[in-house]
Amino acid sequence: MIVKCVIWDLDNTLLDGVYLESGSRPPGADPAMLAAAATLRDRGIIHAVASRNPPEAARHAARVTGLDFAAAECGWGRKSDAVRQIVADLGIGADAVAFVDDDIYERAEVSFAVPEALVLSPEDITDAVGWPEFSPGPVTAEARRRGEMYAERRRRLQEARAFAGPRDEFLRYSRAEATISPATQEDVPRLHELSVRTHQFNTAGDPVTEPELRALIASPAHQVTAVRLRDRFGDDGLVGGCVVRPGPGEWTVTVLMMSCRATGRGVIEALLAWLARSAGRAGAATLAVPCLVTTRNMPLRLALAGSGFRAAEGGPPGPAVFRRPLSGPAPELPGWVVAP
Amino acid sequence: MSDGAAPEIIVGELREILARATGREELRGIGDRLPLFGEGVGLDSLTGTLLLREVHLRFGVDVAGEDLNLDALETLGTLAAFIAERTA
Repeated sequence: MIVKCVIWDLDNTLLDGVYLESGSRPPGADPAMLAAAATLRDRGIIHAVASRNPPEAARHAARVTGLDFAAAECGWGRKSDAVRQIVADLGIGADAVAFVDDDIYERAEVSFAVPEALVLSPEDITDAVGWPEFSPGPVTAEARRRGEMYAERRRRLQEARAFAGPRDEFLRYSRAEATISPATQEDVPRLHELSVRTHQFNTAGDPVTEPELRALIASPAHQVTAVRLRDRFGDDGLVGGCVVRPGPGEWTVTVLMMSCRATGRGVIEALLAWLARSAGRAGAATLAVPCLVTTRNMPLRLALAGSGFRAAEGGPPGPAVFRRPLSGPAPELPGWVVAP
Repeated sequence: MSDGAAPEIIVGELREILARATGREELRGIGDRLPLFGEGVGLDSLTGTLLLREVHLRFGVDVAGEDLNLDALETLGTLAAFIAERTA
């Protein structure tokens, strides 16, 4: 399937900020998104906008990006309705559009309501310029691999949707396997990349540099953990990680991050359960997760709430420390998790 | 917007939203005191995000923006009460 039109979200996607929160100085173009968009435009792919903003936002985006938008749907309705409207206006098939949004909910909503569309995060689109779907000409082996990875994810999503029954049964059926293990120096570049690119499942706010990660892995006072994920549909590789500072009474998770590739597959919850088990086994009374609470990492807060963590004070938004007591029975680790 | 809707009516709408967000029809029949996290409903970070954003769209209530620990998500009953208080 060749993509003919990319439909962009604006806030924190095509724009480097939030249009309505920036007062008299509206945000500029996001450099990485603009580079991807310009590359695609040069291949003859057209662009459109679907944004929760007043119509001025699309005109502003056209100005700062220099892109011509073939259609723009601005308003406060569902993104899937906007995508359908754009498809109808342009007279193309829903399977010929890609939708790019930084928001996990918007992506889930559009993939659910418009299953034919290619739904991508900003992280995906920078890779996707090399995928066959966006490349009428020859493609590299690496790009083909990325394209295949997307096809695997699409098959997983379609089968998960068609699967009637609890998620754990689907995970068994799909032979999901999450591997939790001590991080090694080889994991450092990918862990650094996760610290830069993840927002929805990220406690820290600030990226962790490669030298910092190397020092943390070598430090006897810290434990750095890597999480890998694969299933019958494909191998997602290193999808998450954390840094823990064990103390006598309390273990503190100083960094916790997970790729959106693992979203909805129970991996963040499994990592939190494993951390609680490990800390409890070592004799700690509590497990603490300091977190800079933002609107973007709300999914992380949901995982914390669902895993028995509470914060005594703090945001939203702002810093807060979520704690889980380790008295009582240790949380169960799902059967599909391989861990020390 | 359902200004001043009774919690029972809100619970009914929340069941619909939850069933749609999870793709699980059987959730249309759950009680308003069943825990949303853990066994039973098994709300996770993805389905919880879908539920909260749909609540924001439908009722104009930003649960995540007001409730640090997301206590409102204990059951459909507590979520409906949270919404009712803010739309009265």
